[in-house]
Amino acid sequence: MPQHSVKPSAVVYLRGSKRGRRREWNKKETDKVLITYSLFIVNSQLSTINCQLPTLNHQLPTATYQLSTYMPSNISYTIEHSPSYAQLKLKIPANKTVLVEASGMAAMDSHITLKSKVKGGLMKGLTRMLTGESLFISEFTAPERSGTLYISPGLPGDIQHYHLKGNSLMLQSSAFVASSSTVDLDSKFQGLKGFFSGESLFFMKATGEGDIWFNSYGAILEIPVNGSYIVDTGYIVAFEDTLKYNVEAMGGLSWTNLRTGILGGEGLVCRFSGEGKLWIQSRNLFHLINFLNPFRPTKNNGSSE
Amino acid sequence: MKIELLQQPDSTIARVTLNTGEEIVAEAGAMVAMSGYLQASTTLRQGKGGGIFGGLKRMIGGESLFLSVFRSPTPENTLFLAPKMLGDMLHYKMGASGLVVQAGSYLASTSDVNIDLGFQGFKSLFSGESIFWLDMGGHGDVLLSSFGAIYEVPVKGEYIVDTGHIVAFEKTLKFEITKPPGSWLSAFLGGEGLVCRFKGNGRLFCQTHNAPAFGQAVGSRLPPR
Repeated sequence: MPQHSVKPSAVVYLRGSKRGRRREWNKKETDKVLITYSLFIVNSQLSTINCQLPTLNHQLPTATYQLSTYMPSNISYTIEHSPSYAQLKLKIPANKTVLVEASGMAAMDSHITLKSKVKGGLMKGLTRMLTGESLFISEFTAPERSGTLYISPGLPGDIQHYHLKGNSLMLQSSAFVASSSTVDLDSKFQGLKGFFSGESLFFMKATGEGDIWFNSYGAILEIPVNGSYIVDTGYIVAFEDTLKYNVEAMGGLSWTNLRTGILGGEGLVCRFSGEGKLWIQSRNLFHLINFLNPFRPTKNNGSSE
Repeated sequence: MKIELLQQPDSTIARVTLNTGEEIVAEAGAMVAMSGYLQASTTLRQGKGGGIFGGLKRMIGGESLFLSVFRSPTPENTLFLAPKMLGDMLHYKMGASGLVVQAGSYLASTSDVNIDLGFQGFKSLFSGESIFWLDMGGHGDVLLSSFGAIYEVPVKGEYIVDTGHIVAFEKTLKFEITKPPGSWLSAFLGGEGLVCRFKGNGRLFCQTHNAPAFGQAVGSRLPPR
């Protein structure tokens, strides 16, 4: 286990069953954690740490918490009830606008206005529809004074924040939750690379400067890739576009002829190479769909399957 | 080898860190992500329950035909494993006693753990439910998954568990399949069906939810196939 250094006095977001508790992380506590527990990842800042944290607060049960060191954000936000029922609470500054996935709004201050629009023109909207995303994106504006907006993704799971600084982030097509209005969203057609698998492997490309939030089914884990990493195509949530990727059927993992599910399960993987961050989810929705399928009633018109 | 369970309890995922030459066996399809240097292969596990017949037995039982084997040629390679359904995981260290595991709850084990299929003890009486059992022995680590949360019942003397809620139990426990206490009529009307009565001393692991019951509750309301 390599030794990691953690930036002293970083602001740490405690996530997990303690529901987005925020606390100052001073040097002393940092040391305690480093001594008692091995830390995951960490390149001194702007990264995610996974560790066992009972010593930070003795009331907490022994469980795994995810720590995100402070990442600059122009819009103040909290992610509550993660990792299983994450909900995003945004504070929209006065006269500012945020983009939210269609039907993502759960609750908001009554003075906030909503405008539904086909972002980036009709053509971009149509490509977005191809990727399984909605044609429309909602724009929420807080006129005159700031306002609070709650956003709930359709699936139970986790939410992750990312701050774009002119670079780009690739998102699994249905992972978009919200972003600053300065972020440009573009659906990236994967061509043959995407059709390789039966599942749609469409990615949305987010570029520009500002904040973006994305969600998952199950918890989100951050993996710092340096070299080569392999992810089952059904578990990719997002990745920095400094990473190259390639879809392949993995020799040792392929059981194409034995596939039993209606979706996924072909053993197709995405091989990432280079250096950058990658986010995966701890569950795959296809597995739930496949599990439920045999429990559906069968049609009585003779055609038995 | 280091095994950590992250994001417990609803969305639990296991991070396994493998050193040079170390190997872990997992249910086919359990791999979520891994370091690009790990070598993956599928196997019809050799041994008592292995070989082609072992594989067939597994297929008939409804379990994946293959197990995936991950081997690390270099130090410090990571592997993420997750079960299919929402729920928790349990890291069990095999001791002297051996463990009987409900097949759907098996996720992974280290290479010194033996997996024998179709535990005979339950054969006849469990035929109504499409679950089968793995008989595990040897030494090492076993990762089990559950639908819902896992709780442990330390049995001393006697204990009764609904068969659909058993995840695993140590082989020091004797068991019999029986009707729940009370009359047959109330057992039938109460929907409890058959229960397992454990005797002796040992650890028993149960899950809070039963996947087939969930499947029936949701699936019956979906449009017909």
